[in-house]
Amino acid sequence: MNILVCVKHVPEAEAQVHIDADSRWANLGTGTEFRMNRFDECAVEAAVQIKEKFADTHIHILSIGPQRAEAVIRRSIGMGADDGTHILMSKAGFVDPFRLATWLAACPQAQSADLILCGAMSEDLMQGQVGPLLAATLDVPCATSAIHMAINPEDKTIQVDREIEGGYRQTLVLNLPALLTIQTGINQPRYPALSKLLRANRLSLEVLHADQMEQPQNLQEVDRLMPPRKMRDAVLLEGTIHDKAEQLITILSNRSLLT
Amino acid sequence: MKNAVKTQTIVIIAECFEGEIRPVTYELVGFAESLQQAKPAKIKILVLGDDVENFARELAQTTGKDVLGIEAPHLWQYNGQVYQTVLYAVLKENPPEYICVAHSSQGWDFAPGLAAHLKSACVTGVNRISTREDSLCLSRDIYGGKVSADIISKTQTTLMTVQPGSFGWKPRPNQKPGGVDIISVSIAAQASQTLSTQIHQASDLDLSQAKVIVSAGRGIGDEENLDLIQQLAAAIPQAVVCGSRPIIDQGWLSYDRQVGVTGATVSPDLYLACGISGAAQHVSGMQGSALVVSINTDPMAAIFNQSDICIVEDLTVFIPALLDKLSETSKTK
Repeated sequence: MNILVCVKHVPEAEAQVHIDADSRWANLGTGTEFRMNRFDECAVEAAVQIKEKFADTHIHILSIGPQRAEAVIRRSIGMGADDGTHILMSKAGFVDPFRLATWLAACPQAQSADLILCGAMSEDLMQGQVGPLLAATLDVPCATSAIHMAINPEDKTIQVDREIEGGYRQTLVLNLPALLTIQTGINQPRYPALSKLLRANRLSLEVLHADQMEQPQNLQEVDRLMPPRKMRDAVLLEGTIHDKAEQLITILSNRSLLT
Repeated sequence: MKNAVKTQTIVIIAECFEGEIRPVTYELVGFAESLQQAKPAKIKILVLGDDVENFARELAQTTGKDVLGIEAPHLWQYNGQVYQTVLYAVLKENPPEYICVAHSSQGWDFAPGLAAHLKSACVTGVNRISTREDSLCLSRDIYGGKVSADIISKTQTTLMTVQPGSFGWKPRPNQKPGGVDIISVSIAAQASQTLSTQIHQASDLDLSQAKVIVSAGRGIGDEENLDLIQQLAAAIPQAVVCGSRPIIDQGWLSYDRQVGVTGATVSPDLYLACGISGAAQHVSGMQGSALVVSINTDPMAAIFNQSDICIVEDLTVFIPALLDKLSETSKTK
């Protein structure tokens, strides 16, 4: 069985985000740390758990991003994936999710996969689109927000629980090949094993250049970036830590919240 | 020449679950009416199911909009592939300019695939609309809410998933009901089949009634710091401890204490956010709170834009200081 997992290198949540002078895109502060998107980490873990159950499983990792993004492919291999492809982008900035899905779908490993796993969304752009668009491009069924799965290789089906609102779950059966987007909480991703990381660091990854791939017309573009609107007063308490604690107690007392 | 000027259409896809129209459907009506201000168009509501007449009549009655009920087999409950296939069959001949869908577990499941079939842009999590030089700008949060991006669609048809809680709507008095049409669509068997929908974890805890919520986010760092959150809740009358998704995923708090899109929606008198970053998924669950106080080390944290009172401090230092002052205050009473 062939599993493809799509992973993304994202900035830490604490990263300083600055809007470019022309408002077209965001700049991350110097020294920003990047890591694997948490949803994707769960997707890699889910794939590795399948491989542990069905030995003839091959896990291929696919990532689109600048040079630094190769770190997430190597980390995934450290977690137990077999190999990976890096679609190398030369420019920063927003890329239409449909274009990203087109690039992913162009990879032979996407076309031959029995199961494709993506994170439910990326933590930075939070679109939740690339996975479902990839499924539509490859014409395979898709289920989002998977919180439990059981693959049945004989039947060529997968049973999936989707997490929906209000504590409900929905159970589906999809014919393989299929694409799932993975919700966090489905598993606790393992740390990469040292021996596997050493292999990952020696392994040469397949590199495709985004510039040389098909460039479908943009369906959407970023017009500009804006600072978020303040939805409330956002009064910043000042002074020492004790001053702040005192001010907060006064505010809460005045609203009768402490009695 | 007939139809020389084609009327633009805004289509709303109603959301139904467990025999009820979900309230987010009416938020979509509010969104569509704002859209109508910018781009004059006729609003039509589509509702899908295996028996939709009652839903369709209720929607037409409440909103005054025309409603198209679409009945199809296999739609006794939601299925993404069936939704995409049925909606594409209905919309492909004469695609509307705008399709409005809830940014919910249903909406984000079928909207991108439907957009791919219609070769149209899909913009997810839209929380505001505006116009700029005659273009419609769809705003959505990025980087966990630290930046807002204005997106412009380049296609004839645009699909949008609308962030719950962003648009309000009230019925107009003496509303004349809209027209109702019901059609049946038959489709081939799909490669995905919904078997059941079930409650995963039942709980007696009703967070929607909580007066005070002390909420922990990823910023608390270690599980042992949850003690501080518990102590703080114990020091404030009627306070309940909750958390954002990462805390529940870690197993540090039980699922019934999760606030956000996939958890509870709360509206306490006080929401004390400790180490919460403020991503849209969390904010939609707590934005109805009367007073929001946030503690976070990151001065750029998005939660501060959703807060009345902002405290830029390390909660492991600030909460003990606050607890000391609280006990002094109660002693002097």
